Amino acid sequence: MEPKLKFKAVGQPIRRNEDERLITGHGRFTDDFSLPGQVWTAMVRSPHPHAAIVGIDSSAALEMEGVLGVFTGADLAADGLGEIPHNPVPSTKYDMKLTGRGGTPVYIGDHFLLPTDRVRHVGEALAMVVAETRQQAQNAAEAVMVDYDLLPWVADTAAAAKPDAPRVWDALPDNVLVDSSFGDQENTAAAFARATHAVSMHYHLGRVTGAPLEPRAALGHYDAASGRYTLYAGSGGAVRQKHEMAAVLGVTPDKLRVISFDVGGNFGTRNRAFVEFGLVIWASKKIGRPVKYRADRTECFLSDYQGRDLVVEISLAIDAEGKFLALRSDNLSNVGSHCVSLSPLSKGSGLITGSYDIPYATLRSRAVYSNTMSTQAYRSSGRPEVNFALERLIDKAARELGFDRLELRRKNLIKPSQMPYTNAVGSQYDSGEYEKNMDRLLEIGDFAGAQTRKAQAKSRGKLYGIGSTNYVESSIGTPKERADLIVREGGIEIVIGTQPAGQGHQTSFAQVTADLLGVPFETVTITLGDTDIVSAGGGTHSGRSMRHASAVISMAVTDMIVKAKTILAESLGVAPSDVQFEDGMFRSPATNRTVDWFELARLAVTLSPDYADGVKVRRDNEMHTPVFPNGACMCEIEIDPETGGLEIMRYATVDDVGRCINPMIVHGQTHGGIAQGVGQALWEGCVIDPDSGQPLAAAFTDYGMPRFDNMPSFITEIAEVLSPTNPLGIKAGGEGGTTPAPAVIMSAIDDALRDYGPPGISMPITPVKVWTAIHKGAGAI
Amino acid sequence: MSAIAMNVNGSNVRKEVGDSTLLVEFLREHLGLTGTHVGCDTTQCGCCVVHLDGVSVKSCTVLAAQAAGRAVTTIEGLARNGELHPVQKAFREHHGLQCGFCTPGMIMAAVELIATYPGRLDEHVVREEMEGNLCRCTGYHNIVRAILAAASQMLGPDRVVQPPADHMPAPRKSEG
Amino acid sequence: MYPLTYHRPKTLAEAKEMFGAGADATFLSGGHTLLPTMKQHLAAPSDLIDVTAIAELHGIAADGKLLKIGAAMTHAEVSESPIVRLAIPVLAGLAGSIGDRHVRHRGTIGGSIANNDPAADYPSAVLALNAMVVTDRRRVAADDFFTGLYQTAREPGEIVTRIEFPIPTQACYAKFRSPASRYSIVGVFVARTDKAVRVAVTGAGASGVFRPAAFEQALAADFRSEAIAHCSVDPALLLSDLNGTAEYRAHLIGVLASRAVAKPGQIQSFK
Repeated sequence: MEPKLKFKAVGQPIRRNEDERLITGHGRFTDDFSLPGQVWTAMVRSPHPHAAIVGIDSSAALEMEGVLGVFTGADLAADGLGEIPHNPVPSTKYDMKLTGRGGTPVYIGDHFLLPTDRVRHVGEALAMVVAETRQQAQNAAEAVMVDYDLLPWVADTAAAAKPDAPRVWDALPDNVLVDSSFGDQENTAAAFARATHAVSMHYHLGRVTGAPLEPRAALGHYDAASGRYTLYAGSGGAVRQKHEMAAVLGVTPDKLRVISFDVGGNFGTRNRAFVEFGLVIWASKKIGRPVKYRADRTECFLSDYQGRDLVVEISLAIDAEGKFLALRSDNLSNVGSHCVSLSPLSKGSGLITGSYDIPYATLRSRAVYSNTMSTQAYRSSGRPEVNFALERLIDKAARELGFDRLELRRKNLIKPSQMPYTNAVGSQYDSGEYEKNMDRLLEIGDFAGAQTRKAQAKSRGKLYGIGSTNYVESSIGTPKERADLIVREGGIEIVIGTQPAGQGHQTSFAQVTADLLGVPFETVTITLGDTDIVSAGGGTHSGRSMRHASAVISMAVTDMIVKAKTILAESLGVAPSDVQFEDGMFRSPATNRTVDWFELARLAVTLSPDYADGVKVRRDNEMHTPVFPNGACMCEIEIDPETGGLEIMRYATVDDVGRCINPMIVHGQTHGGIAQGVGQALWEGCVIDPDSGQPLAAAFTDYGMPRFDNMPSFITEIAEVLSPTNPLGIKAGGEGGTTPAPAVIMSAIDDALRDYGPPGISMPITPVKVWTAIHKGAGAI
Repeated sequence: MSAIAMNVNGSNVRKEVGDSTLLVEFLREHLGLTGTHVGCDTTQCGCCVVHLDGVSVKSCTVLAAQAAGRAVTTIEGLARNGELHPVQKAFREHHGLQCGFCTPGMIMAAVELIATYPGRLDEHVVREEMEGNLCRCTGYHNIVRAILAAASQMLGPDRVVQPPADHMPAPRKSEG
Repeated sequence: MYPLTYHRPKTLAEAKEMFGAGADATFLSGGHTLLPTMKQHLAAPSDLIDVTAIAELHGIAADGKLLKIGAAMTHAEVSESPIVRLAIPVLAGLAGSIGDRHVRHRGTIGGSIANNDPAADYPSAVLALNAMVVTDRRRVAADDFFTGLYQTAREPGEIVTRIEFPIPTQACYAKFRSPASRYSIVGVFVARTDKAVRVAVTGAGASGVFRPAAFEQALAADFRSEAIAHCSVDPALLLSDLNGTAEYRAHLIGVLASRAVAKPGQIQSFK
């Protein structure tokens, strides 16, 4: 595909354009913005998991100093505000198609900014207070008296799926909103019937939260003169927020400008609109002043979208030689009180057979409502769950049937010669060298030295465990992306609708653009995050951004070269076909002129005032075909058997990301991804008290985070097996660290505790659980 | 309301604020110094670390009134005459930040650690002494390296034990 | 937070007067427990009386028998004090293990013991070392000072001014920290004098810091880890939460006491 590339910036660990403002305190996060005359809002939140709202008495709050208004769902309904159109059912060509029972449409309960009927989880906002200061608003929110009629509730995933469970939505006969089946029932049954062995496992991979360190915030401003709203709100994509919030307000999208510059961590959980986004812009019009909101960390724990929460029942049929014959899985996803995304269930469903050549599979995929905060695609949406299920099952099969766990994997890995490979539920893997990944991993993880290290650990009174897993994941995401490419005498600008939250788009996109155009990296700037400039774009999720951006920028550059040749031909008085482009330079042999992009922009201005602000190309691209990043991962742990304390001694990964644009950034993404996966395995858990329905983790004092002193240094290696699906061969690099992490940690713990009974400790595997497994057997937990 | 005066980044400031105003609120909302961030309510995350008379503190857990009459340095005051502090440079050079939200507190904590730690700094010391700062993006790997690199520059290589060089071979390439 | 009035008295007399004048006044020292509690709307004092400018609450001194630490001394000051390091090195080590370095720059010994958080480190040292808590009006022995979860013998308006620690012949401390909060799930402080051995446990007791008598008796007879191998604490007296069951805590008390005794003069922090 044109243009032919000479890579200069691509592949280099170029230091980031983003950093200077962030290391000097000049980032532009949402809460950093203030507007003249702004006031603050605080939410009144439900203390109950499920209750009917009988009445809301705001009279005392309205009397308090500084209070400007108290608003409820009824006020919003009176103004005709709509639901947030989350569009939770994944709908690109290659997404697994989820339906209700018997192929019926999925029932999506309404999600208004504030409910009028019931509260459905602890922490759900049901009224807002607006006051001159944040402190006044928060104090007045406590004075709003709500009369609740308590209702039966259910929080646990499996319990919520029972026919007689308390119902979250009356319109459904029970809480099951998705019930779909995939695969080949007949051949799977036959394979199980002829298999020598069948191993099964049941596991609940629990609930966690993204915990970006920037608490969510929003600043809304209504300008009466222009009739336009402005919303400052960090998210995973300003364009999406613009369309969704315009729909809620019932205005055309041009009436709303959304600004999302620096975003203090996203990890997926900020990719769906929060009710406060709509509330601040609506209230700004109501009050006539800008309205600001910033969540406390406790509010984040209660009402940020959460992640994971899948119950898996999985079985694998194996022949006498250890060849996998078929797989059965029953996956149950807890979407919480409102369905904002079915991506985790869908993504996991397409990858149920993992990195292995398993000819037949059947899969039942269900989703349930519950009286908990809603779940959303969290870093590596749906993949750590199914990777955990399959990889743990393979470890279990190896142990029970007497196979070597590495050799059992090797025997069944999909081979490069099988690529592209269509798995048993229809996902088509693009490329990969899975066995090479594993070979490299064994080397960099020094498996050969494991026995020596085990002996050393033992001499120190420690239990030693080593674990490994393979993984494959999918990157799909919103299929459409747009790039505006502008060539000016002073530099190149790309305007694009992705939304980084630390991934370095302003650097890596500039690397790609620079090489495509043949200009120095330093001359390229990337513009993001203001919908008055960025007209379209799919945001950042599912590892889509580098791939989609490079594809659409490639196309824009191709268009630009054509346009540039025309301009130059006119300027030089030659035919466009007489202008050649190579390595960043236009040449016209007839005139012996050589012109670079910046000279071209200068010449263009002399031709037409249309080029006064540069030569512009707008390019849209729609790309549905997914890619399948893959890799292998190992870790080594030591356990203090007297305390249950656990230390990660070694952690190594090999990650095939397709073409790697900036290895410094990709390694960094892997590091952070690992930490989030390890965090879920060892410390993080949105635990709910089974007696009261109250979330028990509402602060960093209860919710254990990865920290400096509990994380190791990492050994990470990149593999570049190019994807044939897009111009630069890119897969994705943001989620491969996370996908195998829970499984590999559990694999190592399982290895360390193999003398203490069967595995099956629920995550997070805290010291008390390790100790209990050692002293009472793992089954005791 | 009380008049609170202090020296911030070398300038004397004075503002009328409520007595319950936190130092971080004073800096962000009354002085417009938004580089210091708030990430939690429980003195855990360290996004708000500033120096109070040269000592690192979590400014979300100090009242502005408690800092009255004293000298505060924030991330905005770290660079001198346009020259970035060695720790700032090292964070960029070693990719010690991604989203950048924890970064100001992280840098302020690291500057104080390097300036005051009496012994030799190594990876273990940095990991133990920096535990009061959370990062959700980096997994800490590159921050540790940034701090040790800056420390070596500031204190001299004899005072710092560098971690083993990162395993970073050229990517294994294949056309797929 | 709720609105409040901040005061910064220079003398104990002023502090007392301000306390009396406030509708619902509270003393503020380092503020690292009180301010977060107020931010979460779990406390709403009308007046905060910052005691850190009162001269009597400052200073560290030792005379060979007693180590005296002013109530407003920060954890960092105690941990770095050459006087403390010489007199009771484990106490310096304990102070240096509290929270994180930024917290240690603000939190104070007086604030910690007056708050008596069941997972705080200092109460175990005060109790095991048989310290005397000196206030603006009296002297209270450690055994009488800690009265329950977040409860002390302090009367309304009573200000802790200093803590006097008898210097032991040997002391040691071992703790196991929560991966989330970083407080001790269990901490065991062991102090030996010519007369007796005192052991105090923090983090675990359902009523806060306590002394396990069996451990003290066994160690008084034989100050070795082996001597307490058979000792135990009834789990019924212990906390149970996300960090650990009562049974786990009971087990950790034995493990940590044993590890502490095995390394006299040292602080050991496990995780």
